[in-house]
Amino acid sequence: MGRGVKMNRSKKPKKREMWYWLFLIPSIAALLFVVIIPFLVGIYYSLTNWDGVNPTKFIGFINYKSLIGDQLFWNAIIFTAKYAFVFIIIINIMGLGLAMLVTRVIPGKNLMRTAFYLPNLIGGLILGFIWNFIFVDVFQTIAEKTGIAWFNGWLSTTNTGFWGIVIITAWQMAGYVMIIYIAYIENVPMELIEAAQIDGASPWQQFKNIIFPLIMPAFTINLFITLSNSFKIFDQNLSLTKGAPGNTTQMITLNIYQTAFSQDHMALGQAKAVIMFIIIAVISIAQVYYTKNKEVEQ
Amino acid sequence: MKTKKVLSLILSASLAVGILSGCGSASKAASTGTAKKVTVNIFQFKVEFKDAFEAATKAYEAKHSNVKINVTTVGGGEDYSAALKAKFNSGDEPDVFNIGGPSDLQTWKAKLADLTDTNSAKNALDGTLQGASLDGKVYGLPYNVEGYGIIYNKELLKKAGIDTTSINTFDKLTEAVKTLDSKKKELGIQAVFAFPCKETWVTGLHTSNAFFSPEFDGDVMKAFNSKTVTFKYGDALKAMIDLQNKYSVQPTASLDYSSQVEKLFSTGKVAMIQQGNWVAPTIDGIDKDFAENGIGILPYPVKGYKEDCYPMGVPNYWAVNVTKSADVQKTAKDFLDWLYTSDEGKKIVSEQFKFIPAYKGYSTDSVKEPLGKTILAAANAGKTYGWVFPGYPNGWGMDKFGADVQLYVSGKLTWDKLVANEEKAWADARK
Repeated sequence: MGRGVKMNRSKKPKKREMWYWLFLIPSIAALLFVVIIPFLVGIYYSLTNWDGVNPTKFIGFINYKSLIGDQLFWNAIIFTAKYAFVFIIIINIMGLGLAMLVTRVIPGKNLMRTAFYLPNLIGGLILGFIWNFIFVDVFQTIAEKTGIAWFNGWLSTTNTGFWGIVIITAWQMAGYVMIIYIAYIENVPMELIEAAQIDGASPWQQFKNIIFPLIMPAFTINLFITLSNSFKIFDQNLSLTKGAPGNTTQMITLNIYQTAFSQDHMALGQAKAVIMFIIIAVISIAQVYYTKNKEVEQ
Repeated sequence: MKTKKVLSLILSASLAVGILSGCGSASKAASTGTAKKVTVNIFQFKVEFKDAFEAATKAYEAKHSNVKINVTTVGGGEDYSAALKAKFNSGDEPDVFNIGGPSDLQTWKAKLADLTDTNSAKNALDGTLQGASLDGKVYGLPYNVEGYGIIYNKELLKKAGIDTTSINTFDKLTEAVKTLDSKKKELGIQAVFAFPCKETWVTGLHTSNAFFSPEFDGDVMKAFNSKTVTFKYGDALKAMIDLQNKYSVQPTASLDYSSQVEKLFSTGKVAMIQQGNWVAPTIDGIDKDFAENGIGILPYPVKGYKEDCYPMGVPNYWAVNVTKSADVQKTAKDFLDWLYTSDEGKKIVSEQFKFIPAYKGYSTDSVKEPLGKTILAAANAGKTYGWVFPGYPNGWGMDKFGADVQLYVSGKLTWDKLVANEEKAWADARK
């Protein structure tokens, strides 16, 4: 990139380039020390027998090999993948729906925007404990008072645990996704919509043929954010179910945490984290590449 | 423009603070070298007695004007060990910290100071040091001893016409539970038990511990060195889990500690819970009178082994960081000795901490609350046996056994499969 700048515009290429890099130094340094170096060190640790305290020995790919037979880890990956699939669909529908709602001319729309965004400001851990109370105590009380069996025994089975996590994370993240959609919906030129109205397009046709293609970039961003977030869910999982019953609602991150900190296999946990990184990276890159192609220029 | 100015001010201020704090730690290190002022940083895990403990450090500081003690508390078993590792890896190593038993001893060996010569170690009760000793040297000083059993609501059992002194076998306990269950309506209870399977430490560590203790002769080191586990008392263990689960508030798989102790037991909605004397402060915080007069604790019966005894052990040990300067180590040891063996310290330990002491030289009526009192009396009568769960493979008790119990009580896993899983997991971990 530096070369491009030099050839096209500058009369004093050297100086310009120097400033260019000078301004970049803080962020490059931050990226280097906080992300890149720890990442490389992390990969190294996954090839050792580190227990978190004592000096390490290089043992090659033994940690990775032992993952092949680790049923719990694969269960956690499958559980997380299932969760991600359901979560991404629900959250994007919810976010887009809320965004459409609050971009209409309706009374109190600013208040509603704030209200929908509010759960996002509460920490996941606290949310988990609050919802744990709702699912276990409030639902139980409802079940006893009304006799509706559906409210019984939430979080005590794998299924209710799964939906419990989906519900709280969707409730928490929907506002965030909504904000991004709002930004794009408000940028859709009014002329286009008016023209469509004059041509007799129904609200659904307006949405499908005009708004939707124009907010495609928001879709790309939101899919990317929700996808990578859904694989990184940890605090809600920890405070809501902690893997119960029987580690069947354990997500990848919780599995890594337990491997590293409660079973003291720090290096094995690191190996799992590397696998998780690869999975997220592959899916995210594929997804961004795919949706980028679908975006239209305004 | 104005905001920019404010921003740059904030930024430079934060930079300055950074520089200052850098100076701060450097000067601290320098001053400890001159043996004038000694700072001891304690990193401990017992949240329940944080305030009382900090008050004790103040009392010590008042006597030793050159000593400054900083206490950091991070709660809970798993979270503490994670936080401790983070603390060590960050380079900010504490001077005094906690280890839980033989496996921590292995992990932290390189950091542990030899405490064999301290007064506290010499005065520790028999059997309380075995979990923190290696090759005849003591590396950890016990916090206290704790015991558990079946805690019951005196009034409810009296109403049901049950004589608690006669419950000294598993069969008699079962009988009492059935009596209570048949009178549920009159007593106004939801169920007899609250069995918190969500808390894998309750099922995976405590429940299991009683039944594996005889397999390893009550010796934590034997458990730690064992390559296998055989479920020798597996049937008795199953019977105990079945009993608590069958007569518990449902569903047990999602029942947690605070529901068990605070919401259900303290308010009289269940008659019995499996817990230990550590719940006393919690119940005390809800209903003082109930905590002092309304509760008692029954033995934890292992059918075919000891049916009228309490499992009793040391939950945690104090360790001193050997990589620190001699002054710091000496002060740290002196503080612990003062706490557990001086008259002033003893008073704090029994009255403020409400501990069952793990050391000699305490009067037998030093424990005032009923649960600790019963357990201390049982200990004096030889009616206790040791904890072996600190010797389980790391994570085995909670993440394997406790997790599978959740599946077992919800009918998703048979007992035989559970036994097979756990035997395999133990053997794999000890390969």
